[in-house]
Amino acid sequence: MSIYEQLRERFDLPEEPPEGEPVVIPVDQHVAFATALKEAGFTLYVTVCAAHFPSVQPKAKKGEEPPPMTTEAWEVATVLRSVGTGSETFAWRVRVERPVVPTLYSLFAGADWQEREQYDLVGVVFENHPDMRRLMMPEDWDGHPLRKDYAIDTRVAPWR
Amino acid sequence: MAVDEGPRNYEHPAYDYLEQMPGLSLAMTTVDKVLEWSATNSLWIFPMATSCCAIEFITAAASRVDIDQIGSVVRPTPRHCDVMIVAGTITVKMAPRVKKLWEQMPEPKWCIAMGSCAISGDFYRDIYSVVPGIDTVVPVDVYIPGCPPNPDQVLLGLQRLQDKIRSQRDGVSTEPETRPETAKMILPANKRVGDPDRDPLLTDAQHDASRNLGVGTNTDRAKDARPIGAITEDEAANVRGTVDDK
Repeated sequence: MSIYEQLRERFDLPEEPPEGEPVVIPVDQHVAFATALKEAGFTLYVTVCAAHFPSVQPKAKKGEEPPPMTTEAWEVATVLRSVGTGSETFAWRVRVERPVVPTLYSLFAGADWQEREQYDLVGVVFENHPDMRRLMMPEDWDGHPLRKDYAIDTRVAPWR
Repeated sequence: MAVDEGPRNYEHPAYDYLEQMPGLSLAMTTVDKVLEWSATNSLWIFPMATSCCAIEFITAAASRVDIDQIGSVVRPTPRHCDVMIVAGTITVKMAPRVKKLWEQMPEPKWCIAMGSCAISGDFYRDIYSVVPGIDTVVPVDVYIPGCPPNPDQVLLGLQRLQDKIRSQRDGVSTEPETRPETAKMILPANKRVGDPDRDPLLTDAQHDASRNLGVGTNTDRAKDARPIGAITEDEAANVRGTVDDK
């Protein structure tokens, strides 16, 4: 029985895993999902990746009313890997409308700097993280550069 | 100082500073000239190497080009060194550290900007996190152009620095080396946010371009993508909501 089938009943997942993209989990089940995976042998924290989806106006078809604006959202994808013979990876994502996601630091110590990097560049706050500081940009930087609405030029006065 | 009167069997820079007196086995020189000779031929280098130019710099220190032949050795601490070679892109976070290391070097000291990133930021110049030229942070004596420069150009740059030091010690005023279009390069092509001269259309266009990435729609990204700034007056007015939809 694959890991997806094991988790399907408990977390009410779709019948088949989505083709080519990680399965979406509600944010309140995020930590429980990670705990279940860790107990199933996925003990290696590979990566976390956040993305920003700005509020956009979808293109209208000819002669039709334009569809409503989409709401701003953030997605956080996490990848875990099992260790040993038959090693495999498992990825899932959560989609939130406020950039706040519970941290996995209490389960995986390796999440520390990975989550700090995503906070620095995309601005997703990992709740209850013990040390939520910037990792790459200067400490007094204004804004999060990988958000889609970030202007390509700096707000910091000239290069110090 | 006694020297051999016989024919010169080999070239050495010291011979240029000695004045041989015919008929005597003596030659005289001045302390200044000896000091100048020693100063120009013991340029110890502090490599401020951040990226790919560093690889070419390592090659310059290796056997084929061998900058040790003019007395330049590489030391990993600024406190022993006379020359800082900035090799690579300097980010906004790195720039204060570069300045701190530069201030730790004892006088007299010189700085060489190696490669187009250190000279002007090159194609990273307009990125939010990159310093457009290291000469906005520390004074630069010699620019070595290239992306990256050849190892022998590094040697040539050190020799240009030697010439400059000789001129300075001789009391000849040297023209400061300037990079082309300095003013244009220090000011980015796009005015920064907060600049009063910044075109408001630019901000609108940037936001429009970010919306135009096709997020959540099935648009053909390559077909619909527009370069930033390529926005018509009507579209710009639409974004600001001053023109009614027709």
